[in-house]
Formats: sequence, structure tokens, C-alpha cells
Amino acid sequence: MNTVFALWKRGLKAFIRNKTGLIFSLIFPFFFVYVFGAIFKNDFIENPIAYMLSGVIITTVFESSLNLASSTVDDMVSGFMKEVLVSPAKRIAVATGQLLSAATVSTVQGILILIIGLFTGIKFTTWTTPLYILCAMITVGLVFSGVGLFLATKVRSGQTFQIIKTAVTMPLTFISGAYIPLSMLPKSLKFVAYFNPMTYATAFFRMIVLEKTNLSTAELVKEGLAIDINGFIVTPIMSFGIIVVIGLMFLILSTNSFVKTDFSRVNRSSNDANSLWG
Amino acid sequence: MNSIIEVKNFTKKYGDFTAVNDISFNVEEGSIFAFLGPNGAGKSTTINTLCTIFEKTSGTLLIDGKDVTTQKSEVRSTIGVVFQDSTLDSKMTIDENLKMHCVFYNIPKKDVEERIQFVLKLVDLLGERKKLVGALSGGMKRRVEIARGLIHYPKVLFLDEPTTGLDPQTRAHMWEYIMKLQKERNITIFLTTHYMEEAEICNKIAIIDGGIIVAHDTPYALKKEFTKDKAYITTKNEPELEQLLAQYELKYLKKEGYYKVDAENIDLLLQVLSLHKENITNIEIKKGTFNDVFLEITGKKIREEA
Repeated sequence: MNTVFALWKRGLKAFIRNKTGLIFSLIFPFFFVYVFGAIFKNDFIENPIAYMLSGVIITTVFESSLNLASSTVDDMVSGFMKEVLVSPAKRIAVATGQLLSAATVSTVQGILILIIGLFTGIKFTTWTTPLYILCAMITVGLVFSGVGLFLATKVRSGQTFQIIKTAVTMPLTFISGAYIPLSMLPKSLKFVAYFNPMTYATAFFRMIVLEKTNLSTAELVKEGLAIDINGFIVTPIMSFGIIVVIGLMFLILSTNSFVKTDFSRVNRSSNDANSLWG
Repeated sequence: MNSIIEVKNFTKKYGDFTAVNDISFNVEEGSIFAFLGPNGAGKSTTINTLCTIFEKTSGTLLIDGKDVTTQKSEVRSTIGVVFQDSTLDSKMTIDENLKMHCVFYNIPKKDVEERIQFVLKLVDLLGERKKLVGALSGGMKRRVEIARGLIHYPKVLFLDEPTTGLDPQTRAHMWEYIMKLQKERNITIFLTTHYMEEAEICNKIAIIDGGIIVAHDTPYALKKEFTKDKAYITTKNEPELEQLLAQYELKYLKKEGYYKVDAENIDLLLQVLSLHKENITNIEIKKGTFNDVFLEITGKKIREEA
């Protein structure tokens, strides 16, 4: 339990100390809101800024939690994971601490953007909305921390990992409806989007932020909040279910994989390229 | 003296390749034990297996009577490890690194402060505790690692090449800390090193080559057995010296401008020298070094690891 808390605190400290990273992680989303909000001003969406903001917030939470993969790989390369390995600390506690800290950091980042968003276009009519938002962010944060940790345990090279990470996150965010409404995507990409967990995370999160819980299914589809897969409608509630299932799957996979991983394999100086590969 | 590390018939195979082949040795409690060998000899495999990181293929490895395979957790609490590569968290301060370590090793909260002060004093870093590890020099980082390896009061401290990459001054300091530790806390120190002169300070030395232990004794005994003193002689009359050396059956090597002569038998050497004294321009007697021991036993030069 102490291990979990200590690692959680470590993650938060690292987040707070990285001031430049923090500032850029806040500037970047608003850049997207501005650009895409201007491009996709259309009749379907009544409040483009709020629409974009909701997508940007959840994408930030997603990317930030997935960052656990990078920080875990960093810990392996720097050797810190080896220190954990020879200590009597339980590996499951280490994994839990890492997951919770990543989920917390990503939620905090989401909240920061949300707060700025409140001044620029998001309005809540009930007090339950922020609560739902918080829960949704924590859920998404945990889910993708699990994915991130899972990825990290499969990594053999610190350098290739960064490339893979970008290659994974870019399409996942762009083909999720977060920036570009799904209805505007070509058919083939739309098909890809159905397999993207971020599509569902975005849909239900947006519904909460825009307070569209009372809309009929047809209206939800029209607003891009429910996903129409050849006539089968995935409602936001179902979307949430999908995310939770994926999340549980990856949390189990990642902790399991983390407990078994031989971290000493990745523990090399970063210039020793040959030993990092393979 | 009782043995704190007992290794019996330890074998480690990677597929068809046998890295360590049926080795056995003991380390006495409170001693400094040096484990030497060329790269790829099985040094790291042995140390990593003792530290519970690698799984053995067969044999028994006990630390303080606990089995490294079946009682991993107990063994991990008993040992401190300083790896060759840094395993510090460079984004955190010295203080935070040590505190994290205390959490991992279940050290009671009330003892943490006292222990941090104790170990930092030992390695002269008490004044730097709020500094970020990333901003420290290589030698300071190594000292932090030693401090960290000690904070849970291990019975055995493993040091994998503790002085590699450090300047001579820092190296000397490092050894001061290590000796101080062994004396004050009666900690058993198990180390690997590339520097032969450092191995001489140890109580016992084991040399491993090709997966087997080829020598295991005190530095003095090894030196006595494997090294010979040499005389380096420069002469104006080379044929005469060569003829004398052959006549007195003294082994020699002709080098660029001088002769390297076996100085085991001082009597014979002196006779040769007195007969040849008008021609000698320079003579120097060199004691055998520990490097010679190593080369004699393994037939290879120790190379720096990449």
C-alpha cells in the first residue's frame, strides 16, 4: 500500500516539476480547438467551440494517460525499474501505483483544460455534469493507462518506442470524431473508426459535456454522439460500456504482463543501440 | 567464520550455451570478496542470479541461509545491490530517491530520517540531499547508489564494478567508503571489478573464466602462486649477456633495447650480473602485479566493457 502511494506521489511530482511540458500540454489543445472549430462550423453542430473542446479534453486525457508507456519505458532505460526489481516491493503494487498516478495526472490535465474551457464556451446547467465529467475522465484515464502500461511491457527498445507511440496515437485521435466529426470521414476511415476505442470514449464524453442526455437516439446520431454502424446504433451508454470492458481487459493484461516482464533487458544506456533492439 | 553466501554446483544455461558450469564457492561473513573474470566469463550471470534477477538452471545458491530461487523476497531484504549502470531516478532528489527506497524495503517511517542521515554521512553527501540526481556528477551518483544500497541495512552488499568510469581520486574515495563499511557494520561485500590493484584489497578472490572458477584464494596466495618478479636489464654487449643467461639457465625475453629476465632465483641472477657488470647500463627489478596473476590464469587481457 505504501508502495502504491509512493509511486503515485512520484508520478504527480514529476508532472508538476515538468513546467514546460505542462504549459505546452495546455496550449496545444486550444490550438486544435481554434483550427478545427473554424474549419468545421456546420449546421449539425450548434456550439462548435464546446463541441471541439469536449473532444480535445478527452483526447488530452487519452494521450496523457497513454504517456505512462513512455514514462515506464524511461524508467526501464534509466534503470529505475531494475531498482524496483531487486527490492522486496510487490510488483502488483508497483503496477497499481503507476496506473493510478498516470490516471490522476491525465485527469488533472483534463480538468485544467476544462476550467479554461468554462471561460471560452462550455456551460453547465446542472451541478451533476461536472461530477459525470470527472468520473468519465478518471475512467478514460485508467483505461488508457492500462493500455500504455501494457505497451511498455512489450517494448524492447527505447528509441523505436517513441515512433510506435506516435504511429498509434495519431490515427487513434484523428479517426475518433474528437477533432473531425465522423460524418465527415470517408467511408473506409469511418469503418476504421468503429474499431477505435477512442471513438466511443469521445462519444459518451461529448454527450456528458454538451448535456445531451435527454436527446432521442435519432437526434444523438445526428449530433454525432451515437455511432451508427450500418443501422446498429451504439448509444453513449453502450459506448461507456465498451470503454469499461476494454479498460478492464487492458488493466488485467497490463498488470499481468508487468509482473512477468524482465525489465533488466531494457536497462541499457541509451547509446547502446544494438542491445536495445531485439 | 560462517559463510553468508553459499553457492553449490550452480549451473546456468541459455539454450545450448552454458554460461556458468557447475561452480561452487562460499563467502565468509564480514569479508570483502572479489569476483573477477574476462567479459562473458559468467560474472554477471552469477551476480544477477545471486541478486534474484536471473533464474538458475541447477544448483543451490543461498544468502544468509535463504534460497535465492524459493525465498526471493527474504533474500531481497537481505541484500543491497549497486549495479554497473545507474538505477537512480534522475528526476528526483537524492532525498526522494532514498525515501522511495525505504518504502520499497518496508523501513518504519520513524527510522527513515535517521537512516538517511547515517548513509549520506557515510558517503559525504549530507549537504547535497535536496539536489536533483540528474544534476550530480558520475562519482556522486555512484555514492548515492551505495548509500541507497545500504539504507535498509543489508547483510550483503553487491557491487558490480563500483569504480568503473570514475576518476582515480573518486575511485580511491570509493574504496575508503567500502572499507569503512566493512569495518563499521561488518557487511559482507561481494564485488566485481576490472581493476586488478583493487582486487588486492579484498580478503578473497575468485577468478571465473569460461563458466568455471579457475582460481579461488587470498590475493597474497594467488600472487605468490602465479606471479614472478622480473629484472629489466639494458646492456652494451647483448651477445655476452645472452650467452651468460643461457649458461645459467635463466629464462629471458629479448625486448626492444632491453632484456626481461626471470628474477625468481636471485642467486643465479646476481652471479650473471656480477660477471656482466661492466656492460650493464641500467637495471630494474619489477615485482609481479595482480594483472600478471589474471593473465597467467585466464590467458586473456581484461578489456573494458563497452
